[in-house]
Amino acid sequence: MARAVARLLIRYLLLACGVVLLNFLLPRLLPGDPLNVGAAEGLDLGPPLTAAAGHQLRTYYHLDEPPAGQLFAYLGDLARGDLGWSIARSAPVSGLLLNRLPWTLGLLGTTLIFSASGGTALGLLAGWAPGSRRDRRLVALMAALSALPEFLVALGLLLIFAVTLRWFPLLGGQTPFAQYSADPLGSGQRALDVGLHLILPAAALVLAGIAGFALIARDVTVGIRYAPWLIVARAKGLSERQIAFRHALPHLAGPLLTYFGLRLGAVLGGALVVERVFNIPGLGLLAYEAIRERDYPVLQALFLLAGLGVLAANCVVEFLYLRLARRQPARYE
Amino acid sequence: MRSNMTRRQFLRGLAGLAGAGVLSGCGTAGVTSTAGPSATTPTIGTAGPTTRRQAALLRFAWWTDVGNLTPFQVSTMGPGGVVLLSLLFDTLTWKNAQGIIPWLAKSWEVTPDGRSYTFHLVTNAAWQDGKPLTADDIKFSFDYYAKHPYRWMSTGVVESATVLGPGQVQLRLKRPYAAFLEDIAGTVPMIPRHIWEAVADPVKYTSADATLGSGPFRFVSRDETAGAYRLTANPAYWRGQPTVGEWRQFTVPAAARVEVVRQGSADVSLSSDASVRDLLASDPHLRIFATAPLSIVRLAINTTHPPLDRKEVRQAIAYALDRARIATTVTHGPAIVGSAGVVPPETPWYNPNLKQYAYDPAQAQKLLGGQPLTLNLIADAGAREPELMRPMLKAVGITLNVQNVDPATRNQLLTEGNFQVALTSHIGVGGDPDYLRRWYAGEEANAFAQGSIFHNDEYAKLGLEEAAALDPAQRRAAIFRMQEILAEELPTIVLYHRRFYWVYDPAVFTPLETAGGIMNGIPFPNNKLALLGES
Repeated sequence: MARAVARLLIRYLLLACGVVLLNFLLPRLLPGDPLNVGAAEGLDLGPPLTAAAGHQLRTYYHLDEPPAGQLFAYLGDLARGDLGWSIARSAPVSGLLLNRLPWTLGLLGTTLIFSASGGTALGLLAGWAPGSRRDRRLVALMAALSALPEFLVALGLLLIFAVTLRWFPLLGGQTPFAQYSADPLGSGQRALDVGLHLILPAAALVLAGIAGFALIARDVTVGIRYAPWLIVARAKGLSERQIAFRHALPHLAGPLLTYFGLRLGAVLGGALVVERVFNIPGLGLLAYEAIRERDYPVLQALFLLAGLGVLAANCVVEFLYLRLARRQPARYE
Repeated sequence: MRSNMTRRQFLRGLAGLAGAGVLSGCGTAGVTSTAGPSATTPTIGTAGPTTRRQAALLRFAWWTDVGNLTPFQVSTMGPGGVVLLSLLFDTLTWKNAQGIIPWLAKSWEVTPDGRSYTFHLVTNAAWQDGKPLTADDIKFSFDYYAKHPYRWMSTGVVESATVLGPGQVQLRLKRPYAAFLEDIAGTVPMIPRHIWEAVADPVKYTSADATLGSGPFRFVSRDETAGAYRLTANPAYWRGQPTVGEWRQFTVPAAARVEVVRQGSADVSLSSDASVRDLLASDPHLRIFATAPLSIVRLAINTTHPPLDRKEVRQAIAYALDRARIATTVTHGPAIVGSAGVVPPETPWYNPNLKQYAYDPAQAQKLLGGQPLTLNLIADAGAREPELMRPMLKAVGITLNVQNVDPATRNQLLTEGNFQVALTSHIGVGGDPDYLRRWYAGEEANAFAQGSIFHNDEYAKLGLEEAAALDPAQRRAAIFRMQEILAEELPTIVLYHRRFYWVYDPAVFTPLETAGGIMNGIPFPNNKLALLGES
């Protein structure tokens, strides 16, 4: 076990080194110049950055140096824990990331919890009676949901609930400069404000992500529905609910855990689009803007965070696999 | 809820959200100049005339975060930052609806050679920390900008700044510069010496006093994540207390820019799509202010690249394009067909007697001599003009290949000269017309000038003449002749001029159209004069 874990960690460490190098290269492979990027979205063509200011900033950000020099400077900064200074936003990149991280983590956490738990429950429900009307309807619904991209779900929710019905705010993570009470009531007001703003984006991501969990859970459930140990459980006189939750559900953990790990990256990608649609100030929106702005330091940091985050998640999943692999044979024996 | 949404409006909103904002760039707008040139553009609305009143709060929905509000960190990815900066900082001159007016400088003199401007400062101007604004501050500002350039406007033409006495400062120019009062004195913000003289790295200076200016508003806070800014009125402003107590600016995606005003979350926003007039026609609470057509959509042509090095081919393209139809289709409004001389109508420098190119496919075919051509066009992804142009050009024997790129890629291709024809659209053509020279003189290494590859000796000579001309009539003649050359040679083909449509709540805001746009041609109605109750 210890040797397997060590091998796992070494493999992921090497992958992390590759990620760091790719982080540096990818933004620079994009055509375009961070100091000549045109206009912000919604405008057609950017107004002037004067030639004098452009020359000075090019030197200031070391953009006039050859790539090797820029790479060494990047690695040096990284070794000191310095993620750099945003070219487009005139702010430390670490601060930009820290300000936005809670929004994305909140959105991702909520989304993954609801889509995983909801999808598993629905999958179990459908798979417990395969071929039934309930199963057919749920599978059809999930298949339809899985075919819808996040942005389409987000736009639909936005148009119905924010533009037409006006039940929820149109955009943003919270009301700008809202005045909340200083007492504990104020915390509640803020939570309510943020909650109202995040319901639609979270719902869009949950709707777009629930189908995968549901279909996997359903297929696994169908596969184990008549497994000998479940027949034994029935013979012991346990209720269907007890059989489903106590005995069948734990067997869904393996495949669902794998899917959960894979979904992390996908949900991050989905969050980028959904944050853009709802203007949620998370990492996705920052990434979208940084790509438009060719803001190398921000892109490097975002890629690093996303790359290492996904690597860490997959590393944890593999570690859990190792543990599950040790337990599973004992269960079948 | 101000009004009930009809099915048609809902569908329009759907189309707008899906198409215009979320995945692509922005819409465009244009209006036919049927009434001829006018100094001001009428306010379109259903209610009666407005009166200025005190507003406790004004909320402006803009499209982007505009960076830190200092001259060295403000974002130049749109004019929203520098206009906001103008509420915090003052300039030597300013503009109202008629033209240049005194501001920090109550008067000025220029020497006969046009190289020395002596400014006499107002005596009651003060920084927001109470310290008086002096001639030393003005000299310091220009000296500091020489080392740390202002992002929006170059001060490179200023050779030196000298304090002549209390309240008197002389700016010596490297060469006579006719646009100086508008483009530099009226655009470059003055900064306090007692703060910035100790700052060696203004790009990273983010202390609280970095935003301290002498303007009518004080910076209160910025929510960086939301791209939101909060400014409060400066009660001790030397020109009088603003009529707006608090100014909030926050970022809203282009797709939602009008909807937030309709829903009452903002008081002012803008659209470049004329259909917004229909959308708000039934709303009794909101009005629309259409700016002068200070924005252009044009084809930049690489005149060194065969066959586009022949002016007959460029003229044939102009004749082949039904530009009125393109403008109407894209903007959902009547068109102002592009002037071949670039300068937009309704502006004082517009030459109305130019050779224009009315839609005439037969003339285009004649100029091409039956020779089939293939052209490559660079355009932003989402631009609708190329698809409208393609069949028009095909009809005269020109095959159009379109390469859709994002703005950063487009800018790189244009900077490298690696293009044949490029579709661009921008503001910056409403102010002083010296841009006609700068575009083609290689001085303006910015997005506006990109793709400006054209060499004409007479044009270059006239450019130098107009830039140095002290006699307005002489300058006017030179500018008019430059437009004639552009109209004949067509290094750029202006498809159409366009307006911006500002949606606002008249209970809290009264728009003000600035002559030629704020500063160097920004078509915003929130000139700080409007927030001071002046006009």
